[in-house]
Amino acid sequence: MTDGPNSIDRRRFLKVLGVTGAGAAAISACGIGPEPTEKLIPYLIPPEDQIPGTATYYASTCRECAAGCGIHVRVREGRAVKIEGNPESPINSGRLCARGQAAPQGVYNPDRVTGPMVRNTAGGFDSITWDDAISRVQGKLTAARGHGIVFLTGADASSFGDLVDDWMRQVGGRRVSYEAFGFDALRAGNRLAFGTAAVPSYDFANAKYVLSFGADFLDTWLSPVSFQNGFSRAHAFDGSRDGSMAKFVFVGPRMSLTGMNADEWVAALPGTEGVLALAMAQVIVSRRLAAVPTDAGRLAALLADHTPAKVAAITGLDEKLIVRLATEFAAAKGGLAVAGGMAAQYANGADIVAAVNILNYVAGAVGKLVKFGPDLAVGETGTFSDFARLTADMAGGRVALLFVHGTNPAHSLPGAFTQGLAKVGYKVSFASFMDETAAAADLILPDLHPLEQWNDSRPRAGIYALQQPTMQPVFPETRQSGDVVLKIMGRPGTYRDHLQGRWRELQRRFGAGKSFEQFWMDALQHGGVYGDAPARPVRLAEGASRIAPAPAAPTGGDQTVVVFPHPVLHDGRGANKPWLQELPDPVSKIAWHGWVEVHPETAKRWDLATGDFLLLKSAFGAVKAPVWITASVRPDVLAVPTGHGHAAYGRYAKDRSFNAFELLGADANAYGGRTFAVGATATKTGEHRKIVTTEGSARERGEGSVETLTLARAKSLGAADHPFHHEETPEYAKESVEWWGERQFEQAELGNYAGEQPRWGLAVDLSKCTGCSACVTACYAENNLATVGEELMMRGREMSWLRLERYWLTDAEGHPQGAVNSPMMCQQCGNAPCEPVCPVYAAYHTPDGLNGQVYNRCVGTRYCSNNCPYKVRYFNWYNYAERGGEWEAWPEPLSMLLNPDVTVRERGVMEKCTFCVQRIRGAQNKARLEDRNVRDGEIVPACAQSCPSEAIVFGDLHDRNSEVYKLAGNPRGYHVLAGLNTKPAVTYLARVVSNG
Amino acid sequence: MTKTVAVWLCLALSAAALSAQTPTPGRYQAPVVSDTGGLKGPRQPIFFRHDIHAGQDQIPCMYCHATVAVASEPGIPALQTCIGCHQLISGSTPSHQAEIKKVRDAWRERKAPEWTRIHALPGFVRFPHQRHIKALGTQACTKCHGDVQTMPQVYQVSTLRMGWCVSCHQQNKVSRDCTVCHY
Repeated sequence: MTDGPNSIDRRRFLKVLGVTGAGAAAISACGIGPEPTEKLIPYLIPPEDQIPGTATYYASTCRECAAGCGIHVRVREGRAVKIEGNPESPINSGRLCARGQAAPQGVYNPDRVTGPMVRNTAGGFDSITWDDAISRVQGKLTAARGHGIVFLTGADASSFGDLVDDWMRQVGGRRVSYEAFGFDALRAGNRLAFGTAAVPSYDFANAKYVLSFGADFLDTWLSPVSFQNGFSRAHAFDGSRDGSMAKFVFVGPRMSLTGMNADEWVAALPGTEGVLALAMAQVIVSRRLAAVPTDAGRLAALLADHTPAKVAAITGLDEKLIVRLATEFAAAKGGLAVAGGMAAQYANGADIVAAVNILNYVAGAVGKLVKFGPDLAVGETGTFSDFARLTADMAGGRVALLFVHGTNPAHSLPGAFTQGLAKVGYKVSFASFMDETAAAADLILPDLHPLEQWNDSRPRAGIYALQQPTMQPVFPETRQSGDVVLKIMGRPGTYRDHLQGRWRELQRRFGAGKSFEQFWMDALQHGGVYGDAPARPVRLAEGASRIAPAPAAPTGGDQTVVVFPHPVLHDGRGANKPWLQELPDPVSKIAWHGWVEVHPETAKRWDLATGDFLLLKSAFGAVKAPVWITASVRPDVLAVPTGHGHAAYGRYAKDRSFNAFELLGADANAYGGRTFAVGATATKTGEHRKIVTTEGSARERGEGSVETLTLARAKSLGAADHPFHHEETPEYAKESVEWWGERQFEQAELGNYAGEQPRWGLAVDLSKCTGCSACVTACYAENNLATVGEELMMRGREMSWLRLERYWLTDAEGHPQGAVNSPMMCQQCGNAPCEPVCPVYAAYHTPDGLNGQVYNRCVGTRYCSNNCPYKVRYFNWYNYAERGGEWEAWPEPLSMLLNPDVTVRERGVMEKCTFCVQRIRGAQNKARLEDRNVRDGEIVPACAQSCPSEAIVFGDLHDRNSEVYKLAGNPRGYHVLAGLNTKPAVTYLARVVSNG
Repeated sequence: MTKTVAVWLCLALSAAALSAQTPTPGRYQAPVVSDTGGLKGPRQPIFFRHDIHAGQDQIPCMYCHATVAVASEPGIPALQTCIGCHQLISGSTPSHQAEIKKVRDAWRERKAPEWTRIHALPGFVRFPHQRHIKALGTQACTKCHGDVQTMPQVYQVSTLRMGWCVSCHQQNKVSRDCTVCHY
């Protein structure tokens, strides 16, 4: 056929086909041309502050936890697409954690409740109108008066919370606030020690020594972004700063994200943290290691009871260790001890907190680093005993009408609360999602997402943060609960009017000389008003000498099981967001599933392998959990995270893994809190499951990825020292490298490559990086990374351009003492192995030094990925953007969060980090319009922007005045796998370990 | 403030347009189009004539496509922009009046017209309009879009294919790096 004169070869055939209608359509569908017909629908009236193709930023407040971080919401064409920290907020100083980054997956969640619904006789829900819904509530209110009306909220120190208080007073009801991981021990402990139940603020930035008794201040405790930012200032190594690198010691039965950043891990027996603190106080007082306040004299008897010798036996620690810790803590003259997290969740949690308070007091930290006055608002949340009383009232039929807003106790208190709910006359939920509590409700009045609504919050005394709608509601039939409550109350005006009314009071205090309009606009622009609360001195309370922090033996089983909050899913509220599900837990590196931490010795004794199921049975309930074998937990302790095991809450959360709350009791303990450590029996079930972990997978390399230095060595380094540079270009390769370099140089003078060009680079300080993974979620949000789900992740097909590699640091006996975390993204090699192997020039070197990846040119040979020594290239095995496809990553309306500045990749395309090239080009466009060059620090990639510890710095390596140039020349600097002569643009600064 | 300026400008333009109904010598005169079926380009829901607005009345492109010099997108004028002038201008011929009535009806019914898009780039291409206007000037629209001010109905003049982009970049000695447009 190809021989004859009339034959048509393939190339010509395609050419002919191209001009016919069918061919043209087919080619368009392949993505070569524009879509056949697109419609352009103009605005009727253009929004005043929106420029098409240009992002608008609105200041608001993050409501993913109670910390109240300030945020800037990036809005494109009327929809919120990304959240970044607000640099003006004194809470988070412009930084944001993974949970905050994932908020857009809440507003566009495909499983949101889209309108008011009422339960029908068949047990399902019927849609109703708002007028109908409100009149139903009003009817129920009248009937329920005097028979028990309760409004249950989460930690809500806001004008909405106050409005609810007003309303409940008016109708003779009460408001109960509940957080699954409450702060009762903290408040009770502060009351015991200082006579005040306030939660103070902690100044990590100025600490010289940090001692944490269980407090996970880098991941879940109180205000993690704020604390992490402060901590990294104190703990980071800075050669020029005298006394830099505050040592961090973590006391606790398991290493959390916070614990693995410690320089030393003290694995005291669970519940003995308090006596340890008292023994340290005893050493400080008896040896006069600090200027002990005079009123500490009344502690004499208490301290005499807690000598290191006595305490050593209780804690299972060496007496010498206790003395050493106390001596170091006092000698640092600026030691800060914090108690929380696990230590505050035992039955003796309040006494432990009080004991740590005493340690702070005798060492002089109270008033300096522990500041009462600028108190944290979480201290105003209701106690667990209030909540337990409510559950009892519900079970006793004494609640006729229950409103639930912003909390999901049916998940965190599965037995008692759910049983109680069944006895409540009428249940109204304001949930945005069909969570377990909403699913049991009679009426659902879906609230707007925090990104869509007006509100305010008071995260810390003196700080008033504003929250404004950044976009129109995604679902027009959802309504702000504040408006609904006002309507039910029969008050005129909207919630915004109500809010403004309250802010008029603030105007009198903060807005001197400004009209209200001006004050309000200023506050909106800055995200709120930020004042200082005066410090309040505290003295030892009368009862401080009578505390008894010694632990009681756990009952109900031979095995101690501790239940801890998941670092990103927390109490389970993050479980409906695929970004957070797919984010590997920073410690275990497990995604999409829960686990039980078992020490290798225990595992050996019980003949367990990772993935084997254990049946844990406490006096309250039982769960089946797959085992993760790790030396980061005590041999006599099992640890399980919360977060999973939802019976409802949408497609990403439902029926996934187990609910660790099942193991816990529902009764308040002696100090009015909930106990999160239980005695349990553990039995091997014989079942096995593969759990998704990115630990040790093909994408992580064990050799030469991270470097550490001892503190002494790091201090001794001069500016000209480069302890790690010897690895670059081994002797035997010198000749060939030089040859290659010359060829590269010749090429570098061709076309676009000639002349002065920037070379973009990153510097990552491993002494600052905590492994919190905020950068990973920020990268997902900025670069339209697909979530692939558990099954594909098991096959190693996750798309995280940026991953956190965690390597344990071990002591001489091989016990882990902490971990080094290394963010691994494309190294943008100067001599990149990926580039020469691409047959179609899709992987190529850009003039400004990036390893460019042209998606529309890529044909998917995957040669580049095979040749990449860092394994940072990710292949689209499926079309994750396909509507209704099997692996769809953005089901409607989740697709609305896609960043319009970044191409959504199709199947068969390789993708990778390019230092957020869209931000580079955006900044260059802006600079060119203003007739100037890009300034150092103007371009901030998403990872660097979010990093709470400011570990990542981006800039031009050719600019000798740039921050990144200086850091790249730091003596601690090294390149990963430098011996391969890849010449990466990413310089890592070695982690400095304080304990030698 | 900006709104007041816009209103004044609009009134000035309307006055100019009204006076323009008497032909001025030397100025472009839009032809009378009797057979719209013979025009190039897709038919639009309203027969909006760039040749009358931009050619005959000499309204600057940026009066309607206001963000072209500051943003990647030139902006499609909101219906408010149309009605700003057409509150006063109702057209000189019955056929013009019929089209302007569509605008007024759309405004009254709060329903924006759905224009058929003519110039579109695939999703993997970034075209920052503002950089091109900065480099080539505010009169440079014609370079890619053709003589829109003489088109009764707009059609695509340039291929908008990569070769066409690159040849211009080559002539002007500007970057031909892939990641300038593709990311």
